[in-house]
Amino acid sequence: MRRNMNAGLIGLGVLGLLAGAGALWVASTPAIQPSGIPSAPVALLVGWSFIGSGLLSWRARPDNRLGPVMVLSGFAWFASVLQEGHGAVLFTIGQAFQVLYLAGFLYLILSFPSGRLQTVLDRALVITAFALVSVGQLASLLFTDERAICDRCATNLLEVTRNDALANGLLQSQRIAGLVVIVITIGLLAVRLVRASRPQRRAVIPVLLAGIVALAALAVSVTASALGAAGQDIYGRVSGYAFAVVPVAVLFAFLQRQLARGAVAGLVVELGEPSATVGLAEALSRALGDPSLSLRYWFPAESRYVDSDGRPVTLPGPGEGRRSTVVERGGQPIAVLIHDPALEHNAELVDSVCAAAGLTLENERLQAELRARLTELQASRARLVEATEAERRRIERDLHDGTQQRLVSIAMSLGLLESKLPGKPSQAQPIVRETRQALAAALDELRELTQGIHPTILAERGLPVALDELCHRAALPTHLQLDLSCRLPDQVESAAYFVVSEALTNATKHSHGSEVRVKAACAAGLLTIEVADDGIGGAAAGHGTGLRGLTDRVEALGGTLTVSSPPGRGTTLRAEFPCG
Amino acid sequence: MRVVVADDAVILREGLARLLREAGFEVAGLAADGSELLEQVERCSPDVAVVDIRMPPTHTDEGLQAAKAIRRSRPGTGILVLSQHVHARYALELLSEGTDGVGYLLKERVSDLAELASSVRRVGEGGSVLDPAVVSQLVNRRRPGGDPLGQLTDRERDVLGLMAEGRSNKAIAERLFVTEHTVEKHVKNIFATLRLPPSPDDHRRVLAVVTFLNAQ
Repeated sequence: MRRNMNAGLIGLGVLGLLAGAGALWVASTPAIQPSGIPSAPVALLVGWSFIGSGLLSWRARPDNRLGPVMVLSGFAWFASVLQEGHGAVLFTIGQAFQVLYLAGFLYLILSFPSGRLQTVLDRALVITAFALVSVGQLASLLFTDERAICDRCATNLLEVTRNDALANGLLQSQRIAGLVVIVITIGLLAVRLVRASRPQRRAVIPVLLAGIVALAALAVSVTASALGAAGQDIYGRVSGYAFAVVPVAVLFAFLQRQLARGAVAGLVVELGEPSATVGLAEALSRALGDPSLSLRYWFPAESRYVDSDGRPVTLPGPGEGRRSTVVERGGQPIAVLIHDPALEHNAELVDSVCAAAGLTLENERLQAELRARLTELQASRARLVEATEAERRRIERDLHDGTQQRLVSIAMSLGLLESKLPGKPSQAQPIVRETRQALAAALDELRELTQGIHPTILAERGLPVALDELCHRAALPTHLQLDLSCRLPDQVESAAYFVVSEALTNATKHSHGSEVRVKAACAAGLLTIEVADDGIGGAAAGHGTGLRGLTDRVEALGGTLTVSSPPGRGTTLRAEFPCG
Repeated sequence: MRVVVADDAVILREGLARLLREAGFEVAGLAADGSELLEQVERCSPDVAVVDIRMPPTHTDEGLQAAKAIRRSRPGTGILVLSQHVHARYALELLSEGTDGVGYLLKERVSDLAELASSVRRVGEGGSVLDPAVVSQLVNRRRPGGDPLGQLTDRERDVLGLMAEGRSNKAIAERLFVTEHTVEKHVKNIFATLRLPPSPDDHRRVLAVVTFLNAQ
C-alpha cells in the first residue's frame, strides 16, 4: 500500500519535473510576451514549489486533501504557462487554464490545516472562484479573438465569433468578481488570525501570512492590468514569489507535526525518570505543545471525572473553545485531555502521546481515584458526626419536652397534694389519680425513647427476634421472611435493624401502600436486607436525610444501600452487608 | 397579687396556674411563647410574670429575652424565670439587668408549693430569688489561685449562699435557727473578709454577692 503510494507519488514527481522543463522551454522561447505572465524562473519556482511540496505533504499526511490539491494546482500553474507557446493547441490550453490554479490556491489557504472547508462562506468563496476561473474564463474565450490579445498570438481554437466588447465585458466582470473574492478571503484570513488561540496561531501563521501577501499582490496586479496602469509586472512577480512560499509553508507545518512526534520519545524518557518531578499534565502539555492542556481522571465508582485531587469536575461543553480527548485503556476510559482545538488536526500525535503516557495516566488515575474516595470518606465521616449530633439533640428535645415536663407536672401535683392533705383530704383523691396517670405516661415515653436510642431486644435476643418484633409493631401489615442462620457482628445487626425500622417508617408515612414485605437473608458472608412496599413509589434515593444517614451507616460497615422506586410500582430498599 | 404564666407546655402552664391560684395568687393571663407573654403583660399589668426560659420558636432562651424586654418596658414588673437546667450564666444575665424583682428558679422547685409561693411573692415585692442550685454552683466553683471563700467559716459560707439566694436577714435567721442579730454579724464579717462595700439593703446586696462570686 505504502509502496504503491510511493511509486505513484514518484511518478507524479517525474511528471512534475517534465512539466516544469516543458514550461521552462516554452517560456524561454516565447512566441509572445503577453502581459501578466511571470518570467521563466518565477514560473518554474511556483510550479515546482506546488508540485514538490504537494507530493511531500501527500506522503506525510495521506489523510489530508491538501497534498493532492497542491499537486493539481502546480500542474494547473504549468498549464497556464503554455499560452506563451507556439501553436494554436498550446495557446488555447494555456488560455483556458490561465487562472485555474487560483481556485486550488484559494481552497488551500481557506482549508488549511485540516484540508476541509469548515464554513459556508469558505465553500461559497471556493465555488465562486472555481466558477470564475473555469466557466468564466471559457465564456470570455468564446468571444475573444487572438489578435485582441496580441499581434502574433496563435489561434484561439475556442473562438466562436469575435465580439471584442462582450469579451472585454466578460473579462472585466471576471476581474471584478475575482477581486471581490480575494478581498473577502483576505479579510476572512485576517479575522481568523486575530481570533486564533496561541497554539492555533503558531500553527497557521506562516501559511496564512504568505497567502495574504500573495492574494494582496495579485489583487493589485489585477487592478493595475484592468486599469491599464503600470506596475502589474512587479506586483505579478511579488505575488508569484508569495505563491511559491505558501506550499513550502504548508509542507513545513506538516513536517513540523511529523517532528513533533519526536516529542513522544522525549515524553517516554521523561515519564521513565525515577524521580518524576514534573507533573504528568506538564509533560503532556510540553509534548503536545499546548500550554493550556489539563487532565481529568475517570472515577468509575461514581461514573464521572475528577481532577488530580479527586474533586469532581465538569468537562467543557461544545462552544466553550476547548476540546476533550478521552484516553482509553482496555476499552475503559482512564482520563480525558482538555486541550486547545488546534490539536484536533493532529489526532495522530495526540493518540501517540496518550499511548506513551497510558501507564502513567493509569497510575495517576488510580491516585486521583484514591483521593476521590478519601474525599467521599471524609464527607461521610462528617455526616456521621453530624448525624450523631442531630441524634443527641433529638434525644435532648424528647427528654425535655416529654419526660422532664411530665415529671415536673407530677412534682406540681405532689405539691398541690401536700397542701390539700392536712385540711381537705377528700380533694386529695383525684390529684393522686392524676399523678399516677402522669407517672404512667412519663414511663411510657421514657420506654419509647430508650427503645429508639438502642433497641434492648436486639441486644438481648438478636436480629431475628428484634425484626419480628419490629414487624409486629409496624403500622402497615408486614410479612417477614427470615433466613438468618449465621452469627452477625453487633454493629451489622444494629444497622440492619435500623434499615428495616427506617424503611417501615417511610413506608407507613409516604408509600400509601397496603402491605410491606421484609426479607433478611445471610448467605456466603453477605447479609441482604430487603424491604418492599406496594405503594406509589417515586421515592428519591439519597434525598431524604433519613436515607442519606442510613446510607452512611451502611457504607461505614462496607455495605451498600440501594433504593428502587419506580412510580406506581412500590419502593424497594435493599441493603447488603459483608458479615464474617 | 396578679400573676401571668408563660410556658409552651399546656400541662405545665395549667398546672402552674392551678398551683398559684391554690396559693392565693390571681392568675391574670396565660402565654405560650415570648410574644404572647409581652402582650399579656401589656394587657394585664401583672405584679409578677412566671416565665419558662425555653419556648418556641427557637426553644433556646426566648423566656429570658422576653424577661429582659419586660424589664425595659415595664420595670416595675417582677419576673420569675423557670428553667429545667442549672445555667448560672442565664441567671446572671437576668440579674445584670437589675436585681429588683427578678428570680431564677429550677422548674422542679414547683413541688414545694410554699417555697414557690414565697418566691413569687418575693419577686413581686421587688426582692430577688436565685435558685440554691445556681448559688451552690457559684459558691463551689473551683477558682484558680487561692479561693477567697476559704477565709470564711462554714457558717459564713452558709449565710453567703442564702444571701445570694436573695433571702433577707430575717429569713436567713429563721433558716439557720439563729437570731437576726447573729446573721447581721455574719454578714458584716463576710463583707469585710471579701472586701465588699457594705450594703445594708437586703435587696441590693444580692448583686454585690453574686457579682463577687462570679468574678472570682
